[in-house]
Amino acid sequence: MTNIIDPIAEIDEARVADQDVVIGKSRIIFRRFMRNRTAVAGLFIFLALFLFSIFGGFLTSWDKDTIDPLNIGMPPSPDHLLGTTQAGIDLMALIVDGTRTSILIGLIVGGVSVLISAVYGCTMAFFGGKVDATMLFILEALIMMPAILVVAVATSGSGGLKDLPSWLLLIVVLLFFSWMGTARLVRSLSMSLMQRDYVKAAKYMGVPSRRIVWRHLVPNIGSLLVLDFTRGITGAILAEVAFSFIGIGIKLPDISLGVLIGQATGQVSSFPWMFWVPLTVMFLLTGSLAMMNDGLRDAFDPSSSSIGRAKTKIAKKTNK
Amino acid sequence: MLKYLMKRSGIYLIMIFLTTSAGYFLAVSSLKPAVLEQEKIPRPTPEQVAASFRGLGLDPDLNPWERYIQWLGGIITRWDWGRSPNGAFVNAEFADRVLVSTRLFIASIILTLIIGVALGVYSAARQYKFQDRVITSYSYLVHILPAPIAYFLVQLGAIGINEAVGERIFFVTGISTPGIDPGWPAFVDMVAHYAVPTFAMTIFGWAGYQIAQRQYLLDNVNADFVRTARAKGLTRNQAIRKHALRVSFIPVAQSIAFTIPAIFTGGFFAEAIFAWPGIGLWSIQAISLQDVNVATATLAYGSVIFAIGAILADFATTLVDPRVRVQ
Repeated sequence: MTNIIDPIAEIDEARVADQDVVIGKSRIIFRRFMRNRTAVAGLFIFLALFLFSIFGGFLTSWDKDTIDPLNIGMPPSPDHLLGTTQAGIDLMALIVDGTRTSILIGLIVGGVSVLISAVYGCTMAFFGGKVDATMLFILEALIMMPAILVVAVATSGSGGLKDLPSWLLLIVVLLFFSWMGTARLVRSLSMSLMQRDYVKAAKYMGVPSRRIVWRHLVPNIGSLLVLDFTRGITGAILAEVAFSFIGIGIKLPDISLGVLIGQATGQVSSFPWMFWVPLTVMFLLTGSLAMMNDGLRDAFDPSSSSIGRAKTKIAKKTNK
Repeated sequence: MLKYLMKRSGIYLIMIFLTTSAGYFLAVSSLKPAVLEQEKIPRPTPEQVAASFRGLGLDPDLNPWERYIQWLGGIITRWDWGRSPNGAFVNAEFADRVLVSTRLFIASIILTLIIGVALGVYSAARQYKFQDRVITSYSYLVHILPAPIAYFLVQLGAIGINEAVGERIFFVTGISTPGIDPGWPAFVDMVAHYAVPTFAMTIFGWAGYQIAQRQYLLDNVNADFVRTARAKGLTRNQAIRKHALRVSFIPVAQSIAFTIPAIFTGGFFAEAIFAWPGIGLWSIQAISLQDVNVATATLAYGSVIFAIGAILADFATTLVDPRVRVQ
């Protein structure tokens, strides 16, 4: 035999060897993701932090409103696992609360902005013409606005917006300014997809539009959307920390990681734990998401080269 | 080309007008300077407050639409962007603030670009080697570090150096020491003030360029025309430098123009942390003082900067990419 191996024939052979088992798409994605060690570690860290933010309150007998007059500004001790603030409030209770706010902001902003950008981008590509031009104009005008100023105006105002809690206000403003980039990407991607032969073929075969969108468009832009979801979470968490750090964004009495880090900057040398503990939590949060990102991209990529055991089978046959 | 630029500028002018108007309505309905006046001692009566604001063109009794007309009329007829609640003119302060910001950013914009592109090329030429892994992981690490915290850590480091030496080498806040002698001492003082913010903005700024340049160059390194060049007898480095580098620089050149607005936003954090009285710090302080006109003026400035960046990006593309023709 020659050394030329036909990969398709090899895969067909492997299928026959496995009694022609067709693996479902979601299972393939799941398996591919689990093969990436870094991504799985990231997922575990993120889940651990998520559980910590919900059930972490049980790790300490103090809550964020109770002042411990005997331990004011104390470093970590058995009584207060992460120490206390200079007001005598248990830092662990504050961190649990802050992590919850940060994760909440991240999940909501990341999730909803992906939805908005997918719908907006697909609508632009689908209708085209005047609708497309108008929607693109609105989108570009929004990109032009410096988001940081709008955040500052919305959260420092003493007018009608004051009644909303600051975390909700921040979510709304971040949502408003977070979807434009992806929407533009979705638009150009689905425009080129609509020109593909298989979409045209499906159209002429009389497949309804909804089915075409679901069967052909969504799988192709799906990986982009999933990636954008995790990136959106990271972006929202980072934006919250950055804004709260310089005093806009989340305001007391709401607690977030950014507020905790920002408050501690004045006395880093005398109360170091108050600065480094929330900073570490923030790093774990954004770091775990960054670790998951690469694994997710690979798992959703239709042309992924991550084929697991099938690879070793093909390799073995080649060696024969 | 000129016609195209004119058309683009026209569209951007309409956009700037719309965003600025939207910003004004948001600011006027959420910022209420009268609330802060109530904290003054002796406390002024609401009539006094209203009268003093009316004199400044900030009448709190008018509805947002009437105030918008008044404000817009001032800009169109006299190019007057209004006044602050304390009576200062926005126009008078604006130019100084823009100058301070520009002075702070210009060095780090240039340094970031040169270092970022150079490191991108260096790491792409050594893909998956030790140097590439170190540089690229650093760039990804920067992505998960919020800018103000990064700047703050640099500031802590500079304070640490000052304490270790026992002498004040670096100034971590402010723009200059008041009452310094002109000439050589003034120059040393200026360098000592510039060093820390420029360093911070540069080492946390180049990551984006590095990743982009590395990616685009790697896309082109294995292209057919580079292989042809190798086959003609060029060394690998010559082939990369003469053929792959130019093509891969096109998308980076486009993104350069767009960093101008990004620097503007990043500048808020740098100015807030290092206490440089530039346009970013001014707007944040003004907004906390419920100053509608300054907030709107800086928002308009941000939009204008973005429009200039976008037009420059179009322009840069036609310059570096021979395939693009403007109709």
